[in-house]
Amino acid sequence: MQIFVVVKWISHEMIIINELKADIFNAGATKYSTGEKGNMNHDRDFCCGGGESRLVLIMALKKVKGNIERMFDKNLTDLVRGIRNNRENEAKYISQCMEDIKQELRQDNLTVKSNAVAKLTYLQMLGYDISWAGFNIIEVMSSSKFTLKRIGYLSASQSFHCDSELLMLTTNMIRKELNSQNQYEAGLALTSLSCYISTDLARDLSNDILTLLSSTKPYIRKKAVLMMYKVFLKYPEALRPAFPRLKEKLEDPDPGVQSAAVNVVCELARKNPKNYLSLAPVFFQIDDRLFGALTPLEPRLGKKLIEPLTNLIHSTSAMSLLYECINTVIAVLISISSGMPNHAASIQLCVQKLRILIEDSDQNLKYLGLLAMSKILKTHPKSVQAHKDLILQCLEDKDESIRLRALDLLYGMVSKKNLMEIVKKLMLHMDKAEGTIYRDELLSKIILICSQNNYQFITNFEWYITVLVELAQMEFGSKQGHVIGAQLMDVCIRVQAIRSFAVVETAQLLDVYTSTSQFTIMQEVLYAAAWLCGEFVSELKYPNKPLRQC
Amino acid sequence: MENQDCQSFINIFPKIMQQQIVKETFQLVSKRDDNVCNFLEGGSLIGGSDYKLIYHYATLYFVFCVDSSESELGILDLIQVFVETLDKCFENVCELDLIFHVDKVHYILNELVMGGMVLETNMTEILTRIEDQNKLEKQEAGIAAAPARAVSAVKNMNIPQQIKDIKLPDLPQAIKDLKF
Repeated sequence: MQIFVVVKWISHEMIIINELKADIFNAGATKYSTGEKGNMNHDRDFCCGGGESRLVLIMALKKVKGNIERMFDKNLTDLVRGIRNNRENEAKYISQCMEDIKQELRQDNLTVKSNAVAKLTYLQMLGYDISWAGFNIIEVMSSSKFTLKRIGYLSASQSFHCDSELLMLTTNMIRKELNSQNQYEAGLALTSLSCYISTDLARDLSNDILTLLSSTKPYIRKKAVLMMYKVFLKYPEALRPAFPRLKEKLEDPDPGVQSAAVNVVCELARKNPKNYLSLAPVFFQIDDRLFGALTPLEPRLGKKLIEPLTNLIHSTSAMSLLYECINTVIAVLISISSGMPNHAASIQLCVQKLRILIEDSDQNLKYLGLLAMSKILKTHPKSVQAHKDLILQCLEDKDESIRLRALDLLYGMVSKKNLMEIVKKLMLHMDKAEGTIYRDELLSKIILICSQNNYQFITNFEWYITVLVELAQMEFGSKQGHVIGAQLMDVCIRVQAIRSFAVVETAQLLDVYTSTSQFTIMQEVLYAAAWLCGEFVSELKYPNKPLRQC
Repeated sequence: MENQDCQSFINIFPKIMQQQIVKETFQLVSKRDDNVCNFLEGGSLIGGSDYKLIYHYATLYFVFCVDSSESELGILDLIQVFVETLDKCFENVCELDLIFHVDKVHYILNELVMGGMVLETNMTEILTRIEDQNKLEKQEAGIAAAPARAVSAVKNMNIPQQIKDIKLPDLPQAIKDLKF
């Protein structure tokens, strides 16, 4: 039904166009005066008498044609569809669309302009530069219609940069918007502004935003609270006068506003904890995230918290709450690391609970459990060691993120007895591992584990040399070569007994390299090998061959 | 690389980097198996070890890059709210909805996150706000919207080209030269 309407309308318009055309040409024909060489001097004729009505006809014609053309301008959906249909010649299609867009931006009609801006926003997301259209975007932002404004503000938040000079043009417009009666218009401005606020804008608008903190609409209060954080980041001088008002919002009746205020204060506290200690009592009711940041500074606060938190940990079944509590306890206990004996119990409790997390089949909980364990490891390694078997198990997990976390933990868990076993497992992993990041990580860990505390845990240096040589023949990212090489040299220099063995092994390496031209052996290792052969040539039975190969 | 869908860069990165960040993120996330955890240590471009990628895969990937101060489980929760909101707003949302209505997706996201900070997680509240703003738009569009919708249906016919091909008489030179 609708299609018929449109077709009828269009055909109606086309009839008008044809009639107009006929009118003009008929009228014009009688006024032709064939001048020199048969030129048609339209100008003279149109200028003298009767020209006005012709002009009106032509303008009307243009308008009608324009209207129809505008109806067929591509909107965003068409653009998306067009790009999907033109995958082979995408660049060409898009440059054609850009031309159309530029054409549309030249029109006076704001609706047409905002259609163009909407398309530009999409293209910008695909990676095309639209900074040339800044003025047009501002034009659309200044529309009185919410629909068009929305398009403009979205485009601005995606494409404006806080260092752009264009922003100066927007100050008054945004100020007007912030004070609008319509809460959604103000909301638009706030959301958009948060993406590109500059120091100048922050300074100029901070009072307006501050006023909004007392708006009757919770929607606006909430946005204004979050906005203040952005203002503080760019214009720190605004913080001092604004802070009392912000504190009030911590007790705002609307829970959304309250959370926003807590959010902001937490972020501020992270940056500068000293100033926020006074707020601690208020917060206890709301959120224990803040405590994690504060407790390093205020040990008494920490001690007070342990008990309620421990109770929470015992009683709660909600995993996310458990996790947050454990994190906080850890943060607290790290800060009172002068070790109060009764807190050992709390640590044990945490570790126990973390074990449950790690054993859970949910991968996310495993990850978080391992993450928290690493934090405990730093100050209470013994508590973690009891769970070595579990960690080793995690090494076998298919999930790379989990394996990386488990690797991190291993560092604190090795002993003389299990070193070789662990390294063997790790090397097996390396064979199977696909990504170079993981392999590099494995390699660094192996070397780290083995060399920690002056090779405290290595009982058999010959074994270690073989490990190094084997590692040298595997493929790694470019930086690891010199690590292996350095290790080889270090061990040989310090452990005299091992030299003869080591030199034989490295000579073999050189042999392998020259005879099979296996380029998988890294340069730095060869360099180290060559150096060793040269330095300790006395240990070699048949020095000539390796020396020649060097 | 198929669809980059909706991207919102809160921190300002130079434009060239933005595309690289998206590519790297895509590569990192697409390698993940189905039943691994939803957390990824971020790639090198996004600030290195301080940042994590948190993502959720139902049939689509939603990736959030967060810094160390955010609660991981909280962000997963946020993604869940986002997906549910999309579902309510688009009525059983599917990938095509998101591709063709990127602007609407942005508007919805703007009710959850503002300038990189969590704004609201209560679904009722979020949905109310979105509804209100949609109503505003409908009021403004009024009757004029009808032919526009009809035209969208007609656009398959090549009428536009015929219109473009209509030749109009030229404006007389004197008129063209007129300056106001």
